[in-house]
Formats: sequence, structure tokens, C-alpha cells
Amino acid sequence: MPVERDDGIRDELLQRVVTELRRPVRLDPSVDARALREIRRLGAAGRPRPAQRPLWLAGAALAASLLLAVLLRSSGDIPVSRVASTIVAPDASTRPVRLRLASPASSRVAVVGDFNDWDPGATPLRPTEEQGVWTVELQLRPGRYHYTFLIDGRRWERDPSEPRANASDFGAPMSVLTVS
Amino acid sequence: MSPACVFPLAIVMLGVPALLQAQDRRLTDRLDRATAAGVHQLMDSAKATGLPTEPLVQKALEGSTLGADSERIQMAVASLLGQLGRAREALGGDANEAELTTAAGALRAGLPPGALRRLQSLRSGRPLVVPIAVLTDLVAEGVPPEQATQSVLQLARDGGSDDEFVALRRRTQMERRGRPPGPTDRPALQPAADPPVDR
Repeated sequence: MPVERDDGIRDELLQRVVTELRRPVRLDPSVDARALREIRRLGAAGRPRPAQRPLWLAGAALAASLLLAVLLRSSGDIPVSRVASTIVAPDASTRPVRLRLASPASSRVAVVGDFNDWDPGATPLRPTEEQGVWTVELQLRPGRYHYTFLIDGRRWERDPSEPRANASDFGAPMSVLTVS
Repeated sequence: MSPACVFPLAIVMLGVPALLQAQDRRLTDRLDRATAAGVHQLMDSAKATGLPTEPLVQKALEGSTLGADSERIQMAVASLLGQLGRAREALGGDANEAELTTAAGALRAGLPPGALRRLQSLRSGRPLVVPIAVLTDLVAEGVPPEQATQSVLQLARDGGSDDEFVALRRRTQMERRGRPPGPTDRPALQPAADPPVDR
């Protein structure tokens, strides 16, 4: 087979190269003596001093190191797998979800949950034409999300139109939304 | 020390630890240093065992936003990590993050792992998030776990779609809140047809 023939040629070539490399190199018998003479001559003349590097070079190296470390540390601050449970731009994998809350006495309403990093400033609801009703539309991937509304920046209120969360770790009233 | 040594040494001293401690900026920005470190440690445990870390991040951020103290946040995250591990034991390694998170909530609600396994086998490869979520919601609504489990398993056996599971939850909610179901609604909770689910 051609492949086997190629392998045979390659092995033979390799063997020849190895044999050549292993062959002892014959040196002029006077080489050792000449090398020792040269070493003694250099020793008598004093060691060659390395070129003096200016102090600023050390500073620059340190600064560069620090800068690199800062950059590395920044690149280490990676959001870990946040794709699955955040509000995302609409695409084939997302579903539009409209949240709605009747809260007539409120001046502002926001929602926090597993889909927006629990950030009170991330997802404000807007008032609708219906008096006292607030709404927002999210694009969510399939999954299960805990969330709650923040009323006027100081009061938590769960969404009465979705199931109550089975338990709340931190005491706030919580709803749970399932996106299929 | 010669300048030639300073550069690599500085990289080793500063750069390598930075690389080793890849941190989630959302946590370092919003939690104090000790809490963030504790949560990162739990995330490392999750990563080491192949569990998702995002639910842990969200739990920590939830605690931060709701004003919980450090100990409570770390306990909640640790508890969730344990539930995720149990969920994976129940559903196996092929379960995705959404399924694991939902199953963790079901286990926390008191549902037995065996119920999740039965549901998974009945769904045979179809998504599990909605059926498990509905099961959990029914229990949260006050339906006894065994009754809720039988009802959901029956619908799974019938090849119910996600919409049908959601409809089951709605009917149950209406019935339990004293609102009569509509004329086309079938009874929300099926009589028990399955043998008791193993725990």
C-alpha cells in the first residue's frame, strides 16, 4: 500500500539521520589546550562586567508587571454562565413574558428576580393607560424564575397572578414564574 | 535583584493568583469581601462537581438585594448547592441547568426524588421544567405532595403538553380558591392511579 511504502522510506531516512548524528566528532587534539589558555587569559583580565542597566528599566518592568496583573485580574472577573437566566435580546430561544401589577398608590415600580441579577434599577415597570396598573415585557429563556416587585424603592410585593414561591430564604414575599 | 528577575517574579506574584481566582464581578461588586469569598468557594465546589453556578450567583444577589447578612446569604447558597446536587442525583447528568434548578426547588418543597425520576421516565426525553414546576406549585398551593405527584404523573403518562400542565395548575388553583372550574375544564386532580412513589 502507498502509505506503508511512504512509512518505510521515512523510517529509512530517519535511521540514516540518527546514525549520522551519533557518529563521534573528531576534534583537533590541541583544542582542549587552546580553550584552557583562553579561559586563563580572561580570568587574568578580570571578569567582564555586565552592561549597567539604568534604574528606570527596573521601574518600567515593575510597572509593566503591575499593569499586566491588573489586566489579568480584570479578565478574571468573568460573569460565570450568566446566559441561562438573564433577560436577553429576543431570539428563537426566548419567550416574551409580560408582568403586570395593579398598584394605584405607587409612584414607581420595579421588578427584581433571577432574570435581572436582582438589580432594582434594571427593570422598571411603566404605567399603562389603565389607572394604577404597571407593566413590563421581558424576554426569557425557558426556566423557572423567582421574582418580586419593588414598590417606591422601599416595599416588596409579590405578583398575585403567579404562584407564590414555596419558600423565601430572605423573608420577602416572592412569586415564581415558569417559562416553557 | 536584577531587573531581569523583577518582571517574571512580579508576574508570578500578581498575575498567577489573579488568574487562579477568576471571580464573578457581580458578586465582588455587590457583596462584601468575606461574603463574596464564601460564595466563590461554594461556586468552586459546584464547578468541581459539574453543577451549575449561575443559580448560586442569583441566590447570593437575591440575598444582597433583600438586605440579608453575610451568614444568611452563605447559608442559603450552601443550601441551594446541596439541593442542586440532590436534583442531579435524581435526574442524572444529562439534566440541564433549568431542569436542575427547577428540580432543586421541588426537592426543597418536600417532593421525593423518586417522583422526579418517575416523571423523567414518563416524559422520555421531553423537557421537564414545566411538569416539575407545576408539581412544585401544586404543593406550594397546599395540595398534599402525594396527591400532587399522582396527578402530575397521570398527565405525564397521558403525554400531556407543557400547556396542559400549566392548565392543570390553573384549574387546581381555581378549585382551591373556591372558584368553580369552567364547563370545559376537567377535574384538576386525578384520583390516585400510580403506586406510591419511592423516596
